[in-house]
Amino acid sequence: MPDGPLGLDPVVWAVLRLVIAVALAIFVVLNGALVQIYLERKIQALIQDRVGPIHTGPFGLLQTIADALKLIGKEDIRARVTDKWFFLAAPLIVFSPMLASFAVLPFAPGLVGADLDIGLLYLTTLGSMTVLGIVIAGWASNNKYSLIGGLRSAGQLVSYEVPQILSLVTVVLVTGSLSMVAITESQPGLLVNLLVLPLAFVTYLIAALAETNRNPFDLPEAESELVAGFLTEYSGMRWGVFFVAEYGEVTVVSSIMTTLWLGGWHGPGVDALPVLGVLWFTLKTYAIVLAFMWIRATLPRLRIDQLMSFCWKGLIPATLANIVVTAVLLLAFPGTLLPVAVANWAMLGLFLAAIPWAQRRRLAATRRRLRVDVRRAAPETI
Amino acid sequence: MDVVGLLIFGALAIGIVGAGLAVVFVDRITAAALLMAFTFLCNAGMFLLLGAETIAAFQVLIYVGAITVLILYGVMFTPQGDRPYALFFQKQTPLAGFLVAAVAAPVLALALTFRDPGIAREGGGDLQPLITSIFGDYAVPFELASVLLLAAMVGAIVLVKRDEEDAK
Repeated sequence: MPDGPLGLDPVVWAVLRLVIAVALAIFVVLNGALVQIYLERKIQALIQDRVGPIHTGPFGLLQTIADALKLIGKEDIRARVTDKWFFLAAPLIVFSPMLASFAVLPFAPGLVGADLDIGLLYLTTLGSMTVLGIVIAGWASNNKYSLIGGLRSAGQLVSYEVPQILSLVTVVLVTGSLSMVAITESQPGLLVNLLVLPLAFVTYLIAALAETNRNPFDLPEAESELVAGFLTEYSGMRWGVFFVAEYGEVTVVSSIMTTLWLGGWHGPGVDALPVLGVLWFTLKTYAIVLAFMWIRATLPRLRIDQLMSFCWKGLIPATLANIVVTAVLLLAFPGTLLPVAVANWAMLGLFLAAIPWAQRRRLAATRRRLRVDVRRAAPETI
Repeated sequence: MDVVGLLIFGALAIGIVGAGLAVVFVDRITAAALLMAFTFLCNAGMFLLLGAETIAAFQVLIYVGAITVLILYGVMFTPQGDRPYALFFQKQTPLAGFLVAAVAAPVLALALTFRDPGIAREGGGDLQPLITSIFGDYAVPFELASVLLLAAMVGAIVLVKRDEEDAK
């Protein structure tokens, strides 16, 4: 039984902390989606030299609330050729694992739904269930665009799950625990894991962008190719549930990054007032969410073959090498993280330098091959 | 096991057996795949009930998250309607019944003579024993299995690659 903070009775606190955690989960998911959509619009507007929403409420703050009300008020349409039960179940299969993820996120000292021994494994497990809902949505819509979107999503999510989990393994090697609370407590000061394991952070960030279907990996819903991918046949609040789930997923992966690399709830004043941890946790999480939006507004979308070859030939070897090097250095130099940090920073530099180099070589090779092919196909035209 | 545990056990058992039967009898292959995922989920619940939460997590991660998606993927890429469904659901009931009975009878005998060996623990915590047995006591068999799987994967890639070149 944890000691109650604020002088509360431990028994009261045991019940109260569950209530607070569940309420926080629902609050963070539903309002977080509204806040994130508003932020997304404003930040994209800022980057693209526009003003964004300004007319509804002060600074356009009520715009997303108006949109949400409009979505809820819309008629619930289902085309007759869709597969009824699958069509209705798909948004829920996507939404519920995301909501369940919040059970193990440590918002503040003692403020966590369940401190599981295998918290991190639990989170990856729930993350892997999302793809099932997306594939079913694509299949049940009985629409070619939806089906291609669902299949792309399945390929992408299953591939990028590998570097995502491998990046997590590196952190687990250093912290020695799968429990989210223990991982947070292992980085109390300024020496957060980001300074020790930057390569794992970068590879996880890239894989997380792909896992949440964000730019530059939003191929399953690429509007210029697939209308709206697996979302094509959905409208009204069913579409809204997909969207809330997507933003919730972004919150979850940002929270995982906050916990694993940025020290979670730790910050000035948390020792005196544990509830302050929620503030630090939220600030760090939204810093990462803002980085996601920045990336979305900046980078163009990848092609599907580029996406796959980058994952299998770039990310997975990098994460595997990272695991081997980290494990060897941890065994060779027990008690100090300095060699691991130096090696990781060096490998990060190598990774960032090698990717453009390999791409340029590949592009040159492709161009050479195409020239040869064209000459062979029609020699007289050249 | 307390009353709540028994109730959860009953619900999970009904889920496993019911969904398992439905997988066999439903004649829509996507529905069968989804019901199979549900069976896997109920199995994971059983592992949780036994205090083996790591096994449960891997059950969901691998079987629901990967295998079911792979099966759905296969179903979606398979052209439908150009062959009779009888090919999928053949009439070999007597032979199937005999084979099932041959497997089911020993399992049933084992299940009826099974006594709780006290593996189930209150509150779980199977991570430590699992790790020590995989990476300590059974490290060599584990690594052998990994190498075997790697070889199978490389072999599959080589087979697919050769088909591609033949097609050119």
